[in-house]
Amino acid sequence: MQEFSPSTLLVLVPLLPLVGAILTVLLGRQLGAKAHLPAIAGIAGAAAVAVMLLAATARDVGPAHGVHAEPVRPVEMIATLWNWATFDSAYAPPAGSPAADPHLTPQDLAAGKDIRSFSIPVALRLDPLTATMLTIITCVGLLVAIYSTGYMHDDPGYPRFFALVAMFVFSMSMLVAASNFLLVYVFWEAVGACSYLLIGFWFTKPEAARAAKKAFLVNRVGDFGLAIAVFLLWMSYGTLDFHDTISPDGVIMPGIFGQTRLADAAGYVGGILGTAICLLLLLAACGKSAQLPLHVWLPDAMEGPTPASALIHAATMVTAGIYLITRSAPLFAACPGALTIVSIVGATTALVAALIGTVQNDLKRVLAYSTISQLGYMFASLGTGTLLGFTAAIFHLLTHACFKALLFLGAGSVMHSMGGVIDMRRFGGLRRVMPITAATFLVGSAALAGVAPFAGFFSKDEILAALHAKAWPAAHGDHHAAAAADGPFQLARFAAEASHSAGSAVGLDALDRPETWQILFWMSLITAGLTAFYTFRAVFMTFTGPTRVPEGAHGHGHGHDDGHGHDSHAGHAAHAGHGGHAGNAHESYESPWTMTLPLVILAVPSALVGWLLFTTNWLSHFLSATPSLTAPAVASTATPHMFHMNLAIQGTLAAAIGIVIAAIGHLGRRSDGPQMERFLGPLQTLFANKFYFDPIYSALVVRPLEGLALVAAMFDRYVVDGIVDSIAGIPVALGGIVRRSQSGLLQRYALAGVMGVLAIVVLLAWQLRG
Amino acid sequence: MNGFSPATHLLLVIATPLIGAVVAWVLGGRGLSAVRQSAAMTAVITLVNAGWLVLRYLQSPEAAAGEPYAVSSAPWLVGGIFDVRLSLGLDGLSIWLFGLSALLSLTAVLVSWNAIREKPVGFYVLLLLLEAAMLGVFAARDVILFYVFFEFTLVPLFFLIGIWGHDERRRAAVKFFIYTLAGSVLAFLGLLTIVLWNASHTGTVTFDIASLTAGTAAHPLPMSREGGWLQMIVFLALFAGFAVKVPIVPFHTWLPLAHVEAPTGGSVDLAGVLLKIGIYGFLRFSLPMLPDATAAAAPWLFGLGVVGILYGALVALVQTDLKRLIAYSSVSHMGYIVMGLFALEPVAVEGANLQLINHGLSAAGLFALVGMIYERFHTRSIANLGGIATKAPWLTVLFMLFTFSSIGLPGLNGFVGEFLILAGSFQRAWAGVAPSLRTPYLIMAVSAVAGVVLGAWYMLWAVERVFFGGSREPPRQGATGHDHGHAAHGHNTHGHDTHGGSDGRCDLEWYEIAALAPLAVFVLWIGLTPAPFLAPPAAMLRANTRGATTAFAERMRTLEDLAPSPQTAHVVDRDQPASREPFTLTSELTLDRP
Repeated sequence: MQEFSPSTLLVLVPLLPLVGAILTVLLGRQLGAKAHLPAIAGIAGAAAVAVMLLAATARDVGPAHGVHAEPVRPVEMIATLWNWATFDSAYAPPAGSPAADPHLTPQDLAAGKDIRSFSIPVALRLDPLTATMLTIITCVGLLVAIYSTGYMHDDPGYPRFFALVAMFVFSMSMLVAASNFLLVYVFWEAVGACSYLLIGFWFTKPEAARAAKKAFLVNRVGDFGLAIAVFLLWMSYGTLDFHDTISPDGVIMPGIFGQTRLADAAGYVGGILGTAICLLLLLAACGKSAQLPLHVWLPDAMEGPTPASALIHAATMVTAGIYLITRSAPLFAACPGALTIVSIVGATTALVAALIGTVQNDLKRVLAYSTISQLGYMFASLGTGTLLGFTAAIFHLLTHACFKALLFLGAGSVMHSMGGVIDMRRFGGLRRVMPITAATFLVGSAALAGVAPFAGFFSKDEILAALHAKAWPAAHGDHHAAAAADGPFQLARFAAEASHSAGSAVGLDALDRPETWQILFWMSLITAGLTAFYTFRAVFMTFTGPTRVPEGAHGHGHGHDDGHGHDSHAGHAAHAGHGGHAGNAHESYESPWTMTLPLVILAVPSALVGWLLFTTNWLSHFLSATPSLTAPAVASTATPHMFHMNLAIQGTLAAAIGIVIAAIGHLGRRSDGPQMERFLGPLQTLFANKFYFDPIYSALVVRPLEGLALVAAMFDRYVVDGIVDSIAGIPVALGGIVRRSQSGLLQRYALAGVMGVLAIVVLLAWQLRG
Repeated sequence: MNGFSPATHLLLVIATPLIGAVVAWVLGGRGLSAVRQSAAMTAVITLVNAGWLVLRYLQSPEAAAGEPYAVSSAPWLVGGIFDVRLSLGLDGLSIWLFGLSALLSLTAVLVSWNAIREKPVGFYVLLLLLEAAMLGVFAARDVILFYVFFEFTLVPLFFLIGIWGHDERRRAAVKFFIYTLAGSVLAFLGLLTIVLWNASHTGTVTFDIASLTAGTAAHPLPMSREGGWLQMIVFLALFAGFAVKVPIVPFHTWLPLAHVEAPTGGSVDLAGVLLKIGIYGFLRFSLPMLPDATAAAAPWLFGLGVVGILYGALVALVQTDLKRLIAYSSVSHMGYIVMGLFALEPVAVEGANLQLINHGLSAAGLFALVGMIYERFHTRSIANLGGIATKAPWLTVLFMLFTFSSIGLPGLNGFVGEFLILAGSFQRAWAGVAPSLRTPYLIMAVSAVAGVVLGAWYMLWAVERVFFGGSREPPRQGATGHDHGHAAHGHNTHGHDTHGGSDGRCDLEWYEIAALAPLAVFVLWIGLTPAPFLAPPAAMLRANTRGATTAFAERMRTLEDLAPSPQTAHVVDRDQPASREPFTLTSELTLDRP
């Protein structure tokens, strides 16, 4: 292949899916059943390019030397496409703020040399974090698209679906490749819009339309946070660019995550302002990544087609929050209080979502809550603020993308074959009728539950290690203990100290103490056990026990997947499930190869990628060359790579307990909950009602706002308009008195008006002259 | 491409609709299709000509230098101390609004294609007169001429609403007319006072806007007790006229009524162009001529803008009539523009100016689509509509596009304006006001961002109800009512099952696509590359807001001196940077000052 420059390649990653989406829109009708071709070709091309970029970036970073952490040279490349908008002399940074240029003398300031133009370039970046994210997005996107050719077969909206998926891959690639906070915001909303359109894909279903609207609105609350954070960042740093730019007269303008600012230990705002920015970014991340208190949209989003759930609401879009916080690592590192909040939010979400997940009976909802819970894990890890924490979060993001996409696609395969039914209580022993789905689902479940040596085990172990290191710093070897006194640790805290000395300690910073982290660690460990429990509960209920196939499987599909019943495998199974109950154990209900192939492909990394990346330590070494993670405050927390045997044992024990309880309750039985109910008592109600988040929001936010709106409308009608009408009534009343002298013609009135005006003018003129 | 001078070109553009109106009148006897075809032809010719003129302007040296273009001036009342001229021309401030008027006039004609069947001659003649008035108001360079065109936009719309409107058309028309007229008479008085003030200093009674701007800069109207606060009084007089036109809450109640009762074509022009004249008036007269009064009023008007955003959005949330909902969304969106304008920050002002165009495109598009829905289903009640997406997919796609534009989805035009307005407002709140005002300003800016959430709420709620879900059969009016001459697309339009064969689909007709496609193109174009749209007005905006910005900075400095705290805010004065105070990080970080 011809030599392309990396920047050309980088542009191709989003461009190819975009072209695919546009072609699908334009040619969809002509292509008919082949409408998936442009989209799949575009995404496949993007995936190939993304892998090439990953390899090229990895070459730049260089191999890891031994297990000891060493300083890594940041690697980044920027491609600027065009200038979105430019404003001349739009902004003068307050002197002394991080945005100001310290080299300017008072004379320069007096001459206005610091007054800057504000320009927003459409610039893309390539660095290890972006390369990793791009690879995940495009590869999972490709598999999901292939799978969808089987799953969405015969849907009347077939071309629309592929256009939206390609559009999503474009937006998501741009989101992680953008090198500017404004652009991040743009695509932050764009992926939200794609998600809105895909959740509401079957728009004739009122639930789907409602879920779509809910997702968009809850995300808008997060976007509100991001917007304000972006404005505050602009105020504080005088730019929104991530990278350094060079102005026409040769001055380096430090970007927010550019080398210049990263090298400057006091380059980041701390204190109240810094914490406010970080918390607003966290609010945005909570919206997109479905963390408490904004998680309520994700379970409802399962109304969308299952492949969209797999791609957007499990593997990629919901990880945008993790990406954003990792990218903003230096900002967070300057605000320890905000970091602790990140972990608290994450660990709490992980626990709450896992508890809710234990009592769900809808397979997709179990997975949805599990996604929320696993994302919570990643947030907990990010909040440690250590290099290990950040890389562990991305590591878990990667493994989670593989196994959660696998599980969702597996659930979709079940749903597809079972005529749109997704209630686990109506299934049983499906491993006999859909063996490939069952086997791959089991692999995914083992990975999710953290069973060694599947992928999730290693990434979860890293996260627990990151939390453990914060909770018991002394136990974590010489490195940390020594650092506590002086050395790199001092540097790590420098930014925070700087902001403290500036005179505004933030109350939140007091949260950053070992006791907090100990609680968070135990919460995470309990969550690990719960995860294993609900995962295997689902596996046992669905795939073991006496074979049970719901009525209508393969017959005429209804419910979720309307219009799928009579599809590709109608030939061999059209009559298999009639009557439904206790289907023939030897009848195959397996999905077509377009659907099982992606399952098999995803099962491989779900099983192996954790072990591979852990033993070679490749990923964390690679990621540590991301500019944001080379900030001294982050990089100095690097610890030697090691396997934490005691943590592995604890994690495995938790998982084992969960699996055993699930087995006791559900293995080989047609159990659907009575014993759970007995066991949990009133808690069962609490969990089943999802901790009452929706009714609480309805009562505290939605209803009051609607009431206020009603009051405003009444006020508008009777007070504002009423006053206007009564004022208008005065001349009419007066007019009644003098009506006789008036002819009532509009023209006369106008004439009188003009005369009056002229009279006033003459008077005024007289006065002014005098 | 210079067959004729720009000045002639401009005159021709304004004259074309007038000629077209005469032609339509003459053709009146030949029936509906001749009239509407001639009207559409006139609108197309005007649009092409206007578009060409805009392109000529953009390439002209005047545009680069920020000077007026295509200036023509004829003596009208010149003699003695009087110097009144018929003077026309375009500049950065007016160029986009001029183009928008031409564009939306075509939309207005095309959306009326099938809706107007009674008295078509009068309708199209008035619509073309309205177009000429809208083009003229933005081209006027003379106060008298401006006021004539300004008033002249009222008359055609008064009759359009009063004759071709819906059930309550009389009340709506009268209210619209009286309310706007009352305001504009006051505004005229204010303008006359400025003219006389200028005359008392220069000795000539000139109505030329540029001379007045220069004159008031040299001899500002008194803004003190001794001078009788004349500048403030004049500002309030102008405010009365322009605020009603915008409309700024609480002077908005004529708007929903007028919109709901107006025929679709009237709504398109009303929302798309006429509301913009108010803001244009502020930018053309109030800010440059009355800078001190503007600076004094700016915090209040900034706040009024924010109130408008939230108030309009809240009221929109409980509307049951789709058209009324969009009318209130206009109130909310105009709130953003008012806020951006009176933030007096270059970024915000440029955003507000762009948002004029953006709102013109999206609101006009939405009103046009609501009209199309009404033609098909004879109702605008959100409760009675449903599932339109299956019956009219392209209509739905376009409605979604304009909805997304209206709620500020990035990549579309609405986002650009909203973002710049909010960014500028934050900048103003952060580093441009006295310490005592900073917290209120920050609260207002944050509230405005919250309006973005509310905006998405009511629009998406309406979209969900109207377009998604199962198909709700709207109650059909008797076939004798509005149904009568839908020959052109008879059973496409209402052919639910009863007409057989046509599976209930009733998607857009060619003229409807032609009405909306240009708007959709600009929605995307401005969204993706706003820079070429932001650049032309920038110099003019900077010049016209300079006085007010400086005065505002001066006021803030005075307030600061009065403040008990010795801390200094960073008052950026871009024109005299020499007098800047140092600003420390500590004071920036202390948000919770007493």
